[in-house]
Amino acid sequence: MDYSMEDTQNSAPEAQQANKLHTSGQKTDTQSVTKRLQAELMQLMLSPSPGISAFPDADGNLLSWTATITGPTETPYEGLILKLSFEFPNNYPYSPPTVLFKTPIYHPNVDFSGRICLDILKDKWSAVYNVSSVLLSLQSLLGEPNNASPLNAQAAELWDSDQAEFKRHVLARHQDLDDE
Amino acid sequence: MSLSKPTWNHFGPHQHFLEKQNPVDFYRHALSSSFLSPVALSLSAAFSHPISSNSANMNALSADEMERFQKLSNTYQPEVQGPLVSTKQSSHSIAMDYSNADPTLATKTNALAITHPDCRIMKGDGNCGWRAVAFGYFETLFTLRDTLRIETEIRRMKSLTTLLERVGLSDSIYEIFVDATEEVLNRIHAAIQNGAQDESFLVEAFNEGYSSDAIITHFRILTSAWIKLHPHRYQSFLPMPLDQYCSSRIDPVKSEIDEVGLQALIDGVIEGSGFGVEILYLDRSEGEVVTPHLLSSNRPSGATIRLLYRPGHYDILYPVENTLNMAPIVNLQYGMTSDYSQWDQTLGFDVNSSLMAIPNLMQDTPYGMGAPMSPMPSVSPTPASPFRMSPQQDMYQSSMPNHAPIPSIPVSPPQIAPSAAPPPMTSLPSRSSDGPQIRLNPLVMKPNLSRSLPVTTPFKNSPYNQAHFQNSEFEPIHWEPHDRR
Repeated sequence: MDYSMEDTQNSAPEAQQANKLHTSGQKTDTQSVTKRLQAELMQLMLSPSPGISAFPDADGNLLSWTATITGPTETPYEGLILKLSFEFPNNYPYSPPTVLFKTPIYHPNVDFSGRICLDILKDKWSAVYNVSSVLLSLQSLLGEPNNASPLNAQAAELWDSDQAEFKRHVLARHQDLDDE
Repeated sequence: MSLSKPTWNHFGPHQHFLEKQNPVDFYRHALSSSFLSPVALSLSAAFSHPISSNSANMNALSADEMERFQKLSNTYQPEVQGPLVSTKQSSHSIAMDYSNADPTLATKTNALAITHPDCRIMKGDGNCGWRAVAFGYFETLFTLRDTLRIETEIRRMKSLTTLLERVGLSDSIYEIFVDATEEVLNRIHAAIQNGAQDESFLVEAFNEGYSSDAIITHFRILTSAWIKLHPHRYQSFLPMPLDQYCSSRIDPVKSEIDEVGLQALIDGVIEGSGFGVEILYLDRSEGEVVTPHLLSSNRPSGATIRLLYRPGHYDILYPVENTLNMAPIVNLQYGMTSDYSQWDQTLGFDVNSSLMAIPNLMQDTPYGMGAPMSPMPSVSPTPASPFRMSPQQDMYQSSMPNHAPIPSIPVSPPQIAPSAAPPPMTSLPSRSSDGPQIRLNPLVMKPNLSRSLPVTTPFKNSPYNQAHFQNSEFEPIHWEPHDRR
């Protein structure tokens, strides 16, 4: 039997990691990313949408933001303040930002580390989306979870079977984060 | 067997049996190899990682490691090689890619290399179709070298912005994309004024990831808006509601263009420039040439973007230029002849493979041997289509150094009974087999003549020479009753 194939497989990931390192060192246009993010910030400040806000972190790095969503009325999250973090890649907006819930949240499409399952933050990301449209999508996700692909299966089940119990879980998990 | 020397062989089934003196080891290896096999790809990273270099660890990957490998596996993307947009290169490279593939594809790509001698390869990163059309658009503009036309295009591209507004995009969003397109148009304008020699500046611009992405996004959002504003034209071709189609197939970065998207891109963005867009489909359908399809209502002309479509991928093609014929000179008379049965019956040709070592001998054979001019019925009466030239392709490729073996195409040997159907033109014998075969005039076989091979120039001005049908300048002489000549 010939194992040469297995040997190539064995070495492949290492070579690939090296490639990845190489590509991350490619020419990136930070100026364009900065320009775009500044325009978004301006837009958010001039015409704020109700229930959402976002601002770059205090460290002067425009590539990481903190955002808040107010839980929409008539949902289990009504009145709750939810904090999120945005990390923008060097080729934003041609790759999606990494968005995490910082506030502990009980939701079918969010896991216990705050990671979010939302198609527009992954393969359906488009360069016309921005911070504001992502926050609005997340806000509507709070009231309309996608129970077909849950990250938190128990939450998905409860959402369908027992809304009162679901809300108890939401409130039990929620903790207001202090401003840092 | 030492556990401190982990190599792949330890996991091979043969090794297990050779070294099963230690039952614990054997069990451990059997376990690890069966455990590994279904996820070999994602887990193979383990062996290159120092932590896991001791193979004893293989059985008990910690949850953290498992998670890390799962993450590696999830984010795995095949590394696509090459630039986003390549420089212009010979289409022979495409033909060589297919030389060992299905004979249909080999025949078609060989014919393609004649009709479209140059190509430009797009990186297969999901944007290739969008990038090919966008690059083709800018390059065509540059090729025309008409600054007025570029000014018109700058105005037109800006006016298309109303489409974006009508579908509710805010200018803060689309501004950077429109700017990227405008900047390239301005660069083309400047390049023409500065008398730039070639389009290398454009290739460079398209290989800058960020501006390349911005232009493609501009074309995407224009297409998306165009579809939304013309639902009646597109909805019936879509498998889903129109808005959902746009947000899942057109807008997302790196979503490949499909037929509807391509048509909409051409209708909405390219059509107004007056450029034609032609697609040549390379597939295994019947025929000897790729299937051309015109996607624009603009007729093919000098200002036509030509794309090669292979399932899932688009590249740009450049046809033979009329003004400057880049194709190697070949004797077209040879290509015109497709029926040798006449020669078999009247001349009793023989086969002499040693003579075939002389590269260009075949080209002039029917006439060079002093064959009578009269039997022309075998020649196709229609002017040869430029696509039907694959045999010559084989001929001059054979004289190229380092050429990959030409795919063996089934050939009916000439020794078959003369009444049998003549071999079709594509059935040139394979050079990789026992050498080419040809029927030669018996005179050639005579010793005194074999040293001085007949190299008669073809009767270029003969009325029987149909080669001039290939000439775009050709006009048949019309006899006029008043013409006194």
